Amino acid sequence: MNYSRNELLHADAAINQLRNAIYHLARFMAKNNIDDKKERMQRIGKNISKTYIKYWSPTELVDLNNIRDVIATIYKKVLKSSISVELNENEQLIIVNDTNCALCKYEYDDIQIAGCEILLGLISEFINIININSKNKTILLIEPLKIQESKTFGNKYCVQIFKYKIEGGM
Amino acid sequence: MGIVQWLMKKISKAFGRNTSSLFYSLIYREILKEINEITKDEELSLLVMREVGKQAAMESCERHSAIFKFMPGSPDKVVDYFELLWVVVFGKELEELDYEEISEENSIYNSYLLKIKHCPICASYGTSPEDTFNISKLGNKTEGMACGLCGMLQGVANFILKVKKNNYRIKIVEQKCMGKGDNCLQLLCKIYDYNEWKKMTQLKLKDKTLSKVILESDIEEEVIQKNKVDLLDQLQESFSLDKLEELIDEPLENIKKRIADIIRDKLNMEPEHFFDYFRNYEEDMIRIIGFLLIHLLNENGRFIEKLLKNETIAKVAGYFFKQLKEMVLLFVPLDVVKDYHNLLIKFLEGLAPNEMVENIKNYSGRDDINFLFEGAQIALEDLGINFSTLKENIWEELNQERENGLLSPEQSIINKTQENFPKIIQLFQEIAMLINEFLTLPIRVSISEGHYGLKAAINSVISEEEGLVGSIKNRFDNIFNNIQALRE
Repeated sequence: MNYSRNELLHADAAINQLRNAIYHLARFMAKNNIDDKKERMQRIGKNISKTYIKYWSPTELVDLNNIRDVIATIYKKVLKSSISVELNENEQLIIVNDTNCALCKYEYDDIQIAGCEILLGLISEFINIININSKNKTILLIEPLKIQESKTFGNKYCVQIFKYKIEGGM
Repeated sequence: MGIVQWLMKKISKAFGRNTSSLFYSLIYREILKEINEITKDEELSLLVMREVGKQAAMESCERHSAIFKFMPGSPDKVVDYFELLWVVVFGKELEELDYEEISEENSIYNSYLLKIKHCPICASYGTSPEDTFNISKLGNKTEGMACGLCGMLQGVANFILKVKKNNYRIKIVEQKCMGKGDNCLQLLCKIYDYNEWKKMTQLKLKDKTLSKVILESDIEEEVIQKNKVDLLDQLQESFSLDKLEELIDEPLENIKKRIADIIRDKLNMEPEHFFDYFRNYEEDMIRIIGFLLIHLLNENGRFIEKLLKNETIAKVAGYFFKQLKEMVLLFVPLDVVKDYHNLLIKFLEGLAPNEMVENIKNYSGRDDINFLFEGAQIALEDLGINFSTLKENIWEELNQERENGLLSPEQSIINKTQENFPKIIQLFQEIAMLINEFLTLPIRVSISEGHYGLKAAINSVISEEEGLVGSIKNRFDNIFNNIQALRE
C-alpha cells in the first residue's frame, strides 16, 4: 500500500533540489520561447492549493481581522517559513516579508523570474478557495500582484505582494 | 545501517530546507505538468523531467561538493549508500527497500534492482482533478512518474563518481511505477564505462527537445574536474564514509583486511608469506613496529628530526624517553598491557603463520612494550639522540656539568651554593621520584578504570537500540530535531 497524500501532509521533505528544478523549468520555458512564465509559475501555485486544501485548511473564513495570521499559518505549515505580514489598507495590499523563502535562495544571472511567483499563486488561491467555499455574503479575495524583491534577483530576502478586494455584501 | 551513514542522514535532514512532503509531491507534479504543457508528449515529458531532476541535483552537489568528496568512490558502494542518496534528494527516510544484485557478464560491476514499497511521488495520484498528467498515455517500456526523482538520484550518484575520479557512471531507471499500477517503485541501477556513458550523453544532445535541457557543459565538466586537486581531494583518498563505516563497525577485522590488501598490492605477496619472513624473529617484528611508529611521526614535516638537531633538546628528549621506558610499566596496569598483547595475537591470527602466532603467545605484554621501546630507541638514535652519551638520569647529567666547572679558591656565598648544588639536585631527584611513586597508583587506577569502563560499556550493550549506541542515537535525534526546529 503506497503513501496517501494525507500521510505526506504530516511529513517533511527537503526541497533543496526541487527548488533548483524550478529554475531549470524556467530555463526550459525560455528555450521554448514561452513568454507568460509568470502566469505559468503562478498557475503551479494555484494548482498546488487546489489539491492541498482538500487535505488541510487553516481556517473556514478569512477576513481582514485574521488575514495576517492565516497567511503566516499557511507559510508555516506548508512551507515551514516564518514570515512577517504587513497590511496596507490604503492601497489594499498585503506585503509578505520572507527571509528564508522555500523557493528562492541563490541569485541567477540568466533567470528573470523568481521561484516565489509560485507562492503568489499558492497563497491567493488558498485564501480564495476558503472564502468562496464559506457561506459568507461578503468575502475577501486576493490576487497576486508582484514579487518586489527576491533572493533570485540578488536581494537579501523575498517580498511578495498581493492585492486584496472585498466582494459581495450589502 | 552504519553509524556514519546514520549520522550523515541526520545532518542532511537537519540542514536541508524543509517543506511539507505534500507540497513537495505537488510541486513535482506541477513541474511535470508544465513540461508536458510545452512538449505535448507524455513520454518526452518524462525524459525532460529526468533531465531537469538531474541538472537540479548536480547544481546542489556543485554547491556542496566538499561533502560528496567523502562519499565512497566505487559505483557498487555508491549504490550501497542509496538510502543516504534518497535522504539527500528527498529529505525523507526510505522505508522498506528490497535490494537485488543482477550479474552482468560484460561489466566488472553488477547491476542492482531496488524495490521501494512507498513512492511519495505517486501518493494518491489520480484522486484530484489537478492530476492531469495522463499516465495512461505512457507505454509499458517508458519510465513512470518518479523519473525526475531518478534523475536526481542519478545526478547525485554520478557527481560522487565524478569527484572521486571514477571511470564508471550509474544510470538509474524507473522500471515500475505505482502510478502506472505497479506494486512498487522499482529502480534499475546499471553501471556503465565512462566512454560508453559519454557516447550515450552525446546521442541525447542530438535530440531536438532534450537538447533544450541538457547542458553541453556536462561533458566538458568531466575533464575540468580531473585537473582539480585540493586538500580535500587528498584527504578523501584516505577518508571516505564507507571506509570509516567499516572501521567503526568492525575495527580489528577491517584493519586486518586493509593491511592484507596493502601487503598484496604493494608487495605482491600474500600476508602469510610476508609474515613468514618474521617467523622466529617475532621480537624484531615488534621492534620494527616501534621503529616505524617514530619514523611515521617524523614524516609529517620532519618535525622530530629538526627538533633533535639542537643538542640540549636531544639530551632532554633522550632522558625523557629513558624515563618513560622505565616508568611505563609502573603506570600502566599489567592487565591492560595483557589485553593489548591479546589484541596483537588476535590481529595476527589469520594473517601470520600459526607457528608465529604461537611464538608470540609465549611473550608477555611486558615483553611487547620493551620491544616496542627498543625499536623506538633505534629510530630516535637515527633522528639525533645519542643514547650512549646519556647518564643514568637527567639529575646526574646536571651534576656532571657542575663537577666540570672550576671552583674558585675563595669561598663566597655563590661558591658555597655551587658546592651544595649536587646535594640540592639529589634532594629534588628524591622528591620527584617520591611524587612519581605516589602518582603511580592513581594513574594506574584511572587507566584501568578507563580501559575496563570502556570495555564493560561496550560489552554490556544488549542491543543497538537499548544500549549505549541506541541512547546516543536518540540523543542525536533530539539534537537534530531541535536544530531543524530552530532553522524553521
